[in-house]
Amino acid sequence: MSAAVRIRSLAQPVAALLVAFAIAAVLIATTSGEPFPKSLSVVAESFTALFRGAFGDVNGLLRSLAKATPLLFSGLAVAVALRAGLFNIGAEGQLLVGGLAAAWAGYAIKGLPLIIHLPLAMLAGAAAGALWAAVPGVLKAWRGAHEVIVTIMMNYVAIYLTHYLVNGPLRDPATRQTATPTVLPTAQLWSLPGSATNFSAGFFLALLAAAAVAFLLRRTALGFEIRAVGLGPDAARAAGISVPRTIVTTMCLSGALAGLAGAVEVLAVHHRYLDQFSPGYGFDSIAVALLGGLNAPGVTLAALLFGGLKSGANEMYTQTQTPIMIVGVIQAVVILAIGIRRLRGRREG
Amino acid sequence: MTAPLPTDTPIIQMANITKSFPGVVANDDVSLAVLPATIHAIIGENGAGKSTLMGILYGRYQPDKGRIRVSGEDVRIDSPARAIRLGIGMVTQHTTMVPALTVLENIILGAEPSRAGFIDSRRASERVSELAGSLGVELDLRASAGTLSVAALQKAEILKALFRGARILVLDEPTATLAPQEADSLFRLLHSLRDSGTTILFITHKLREVMAHASRVTVLRGGKCVGDRLTAETTPDDLLALMIGQRSVAASILTELGASPLDSEPTPAYLVGREPLVPAAAMPTLELRDVSVVNRRGAVAVRSISLDVMPGEVLGVAGVDGSGQRELAEAIVGLRPLQSGSIRLDGKDITGRSVGDRLRAGITFIPEDRHREGLVLDFSLAENLLLGRERDRRFGGGALLDLRCIEETGEETVRASRVKVPSAEVAARNLSGGNQQKVVVARALMGDPRLLVAMQPTRGLDVEAARFVYEQFQTAQQKGLGIILFSLDLDEIFAISDRIAVMFDGRLMGVVPRAEATVDRVGQMMVGRPASEAGST
Repeated sequence: MSAAVRIRSLAQPVAALLVAFAIAAVLIATTSGEPFPKSLSVVAESFTALFRGAFGDVNGLLRSLAKATPLLFSGLAVAVALRAGLFNIGAEGQLLVGGLAAAWAGYAIKGLPLIIHLPLAMLAGAAAGALWAAVPGVLKAWRGAHEVIVTIMMNYVAIYLTHYLVNGPLRDPATRQTATPTVLPTAQLWSLPGSATNFSAGFFLALLAAAAVAFLLRRTALGFEIRAVGLGPDAARAAGISVPRTIVTTMCLSGALAGLAGAVEVLAVHHRYLDQFSPGYGFDSIAVALLGGLNAPGVTLAALLFGGLKSGANEMYTQTQTPIMIVGVIQAVVILAIGIRRLRGRREG
Repeated sequence: MTAPLPTDTPIIQMANITKSFPGVVANDDVSLAVLPATIHAIIGENGAGKSTLMGILYGRYQPDKGRIRVSGEDVRIDSPARAIRLGIGMVTQHTTMVPALTVLENIILGAEPSRAGFIDSRRASERVSELAGSLGVELDLRASAGTLSVAALQKAEILKALFRGARILVLDEPTATLAPQEADSLFRLLHSLRDSGTTILFITHKLREVMAHASRVTVLRGGKCVGDRLTAETTPDDLLALMIGQRSVAASILTELGASPLDSEPTPAYLVGREPLVPAAAMPTLELRDVSVVNRRGAVAVRSISLDVMPGEVLGVAGVDGSGQRELAEAIVGLRPLQSGSIRLDGKDITGRSVGDRLRAGITFIPEDRHREGLVLDFSLAENLLLGRERDRRFGGGALLDLRCIEETGEETVRASRVKVPSAEVAARNLSGGNQQKVVVARALMGDPRLLVAMQPTRGLDVEAARFVYEQFQTAQQKGLGIILFSLDLDEIFAISDRIAVMFDGRLMGVVPRAEATVDRVGQMMVGRPASEAGST
């Protein structure tokens, strides 16, 4: 990739972010209740507090990285699928079943050393996510069912299924929370002790996953097939690439990444599956993937940014009473801005 | 509507049009004048600037310099919508039809007759049927556009333009994919449109069409206008010289290919006369036995066809568009399952195998639509050459890719194929049609395949690229490659085939050796007469 192309590929996400922050600024200013010139200073204070909260000190930074961790895993999940032309809206559901499977493997399987138990629990999470995503993959590949519809429906199934299991058969009777029993220490992922930041080794695993995805897309035959099916399904088919097989493999891969997002949250942060533990990471990850331009380095940066916004939002609220939801507005505008570009680009192409 | 013009006043005047794209001057001070109610041809090789010039007339591009007059009035055509309001209609090589809509819906799209805000579908249907009827065009208006053949789509496109009130019709290589009969009927349609006052502008490579149907011709070369002739006062040789300048080798092929076998006994053409490459006793490369295939709509498209392709030979398959050629080609390649029958490659049954398995067994494919099926346009050339072979041992052997080898192979192939690009890292989208096809052909011939299934391999190509394709075929044949060539261009079939098979309505009408084939005989078979009855009068 030449330098010029690289700069052009950066222009779009930067523009989307600028638009998003501009709209957020207008909203903050008009809802601040202050008259015009003063309302601008509220905006400035809000954004300053937001960024100070996110990246201003070590604790803030660690909290941002912790928030970025599930976003990075599931952002990679959405990005990989979209590289094959598949819009996986189901990362949330895959993340939930992944988290529950990891929790179960973490408390129910006993007597294993950490070196086996922890990877096994993570694998269980990845496998559950993969299985959950394989359903829309198979339906798309051989029946032509649109993956957007099926993944959305699978989200509901996942939400209610996990809700039922964690309230019923898998519930820990010893606690008043709706949660599974605690994961054994042999399946717990290292996290920073004595800290409320939730920073854990999961962050490094997420970075590893990003590197693996970059390697997959660039250096492997499967990655090549994923890109070929995404950019030219008819040409890929005519050239002998099995499009159905690539679709199913990609969905499984995507689901596995989303499942890992859930597994890491469970094994490193909560140490059990808490009902409705995800504040919508799977949905936020769509914005992360789009903002990151569907490539691993971009998705990593986008996850760090959104993780920072989420962790800085509290600081912003306590200092300026600017509602936390403004971060949601920024995400939504990013999706719209980039989504519009993608749609237009497709029509012109 | 303006008052009728004196017939010597041009209905279209394009004066001193210059248009540059990054890195290339597509039109350089081009002027064009078209008289009303005439048929005017624009010829030139690929990249000569014909499509750009017509794109400017249709409002798709804005010229950097120059003026346009329509019916004597200065106009600024800033969009296709404006062009349509000025009475200009365009029929391109690539369809504008929405595949999921019916033909009728496509024709009225954006110009729907409506009543109280609802589409008046009965009136729409009546008006379109009437229009089609008056022009003698037979089309199933209720079929969805995605299921139509290229030829039928084109007719629908013409109806669409006329439905919008076009009185100037621009056609971009209208006969590129038509069988001779279809081309004849198209030109009959164009003549009657002209007689009723429509002005026709068409882009073509085919000198025969220019001489037979146009009254005036403008020749473009390298973005410049190099000649403007009345066809009554020029010769094909003259036009050819203008078109291609000094390239005598290419010129000779074009003369040979352009020599009209429809008017005379077939001329011994480009590859004919070479020694037979195959010992008579050799085992066929491809054996089709009682092959039946259904099309996208589930109707039987290929009816119990048995055929052999010998190593080193070209079996040309002629037929009117939509006679089942596409379905047969897809069945051989593995893109379409067989209803019944069997396929053997080098004696081994491959009937149920996938496209990928057949590729590895040695069957390669040049698809009809190179933009959609031939190439991934946003991939680099090196990546396009890798397509389908990404798990080959030479490129890494399965899991990993050997990027160095891929890059080297890409650069080598691009150089050997004389693709005019600085490197194999360029995206396929940025290449001209001829260069794109060279890449498709190079991929199909990579790694000494056994059988090549080629659909319209030189459709829309310039002389140099077409010549390259034939040379590549010939070289591969000498290594024992069998080729099954599906083409709607009889000149091409006659020029390079050793035997000619003819399909009609999904059936095989017969196979005749090239030496015994005449255009008349093949033509009779193309309209449904078996080989035994089709005489060579």
